Amino acid sequence: MGIGIDIVEVGRIQQLAEEHEAFITRVYTEAEIRYCSGKKNRHQHFAARFAAKESVLKALGVGWARDVKWTDVEVVNDALGKPQVNTYGEVKRLMKEKNVREILVSLSHTAGYAIASAQLVKG
Amino acid sequence: MDENTILEKVKESVVEALGVDEEEVKPDSVLFDDLGAESLDLLDIVFRLEKEFGIKIPRGGIQADALSAEGENLKEEDLVVDGVLTPLGIRKLKQSMPEVDPARITDGFRADDIPTLFTVQTFVNIVKKLLAEKA
Repeated sequence: MGIGIDIVEVGRIQQLAEEHEAFITRVYTEAEIRYCSGKKNRHQHFAARFAAKESVLKALGVGWARDVKWTDVEVVNDALGKPQVNTYGEVKRLMKEKNVREILVSLSHTAGYAIASAQLVKG
Repeated sequence: MDENTILEKVKESVVEALGVDEEEVKPDSVLFDDLGAESLDLLDIVFRLEKEFGIKIPRGGIQADALSAEGENLKEEDLVVDGVLTPLGIRKLKQSMPEVDPARITDGFRADDIPTLFTVQTFVNIVKKLLAEKA
């Protein structure tokens, strides 16, 4: 336990975003929307963040049973461009419960796919 | 709204989200194994149903109240330990998802894998419950 990985198709994210108004606002935080919307390949960035959220939830062992929102996991970039995970609500509570100090993520994307992995740092 | 009307609308959403033939979609069709869905497809179906029925299906609420420890004096760890369902968790899941073939919920079943159990009827039940709550 303590690691998670996820891969998504960029086109699928784009399709969901275009077909369902609620998709972006339900899944992404304001900071994420701001960041991704400013990018040329914004769907790649949205897709990478979706994969990151899923990989974090997998690493924490969160099934669909929990009262978890997609926006409870936020991936932002620090000044050097390194992705950083912020957590809120139920996910933040779970981190505390599982004695997780920090969550590290790594993202990668091409035109077709976005992939992310997450690792829990205990302590 | 009667169950048949709900079923027809759920089938329609599944057909649109997955691009499968209408004849393939039966109440007991398993979304992942029978209809080839992936986890993002479930989200697609959820958004279509929300629009169609004017309801909101929360991420965690998709799977009935199967593993809710509320109201029974149960703790989370009575039902799931390290992501794996306990014998009590398995029993409760089978009870709360009667539409799922119980033989599919085996020892060592992981909470993360619950979406792989979903059938078309699972969504019908969720919609029914949320419509009743709304009324």
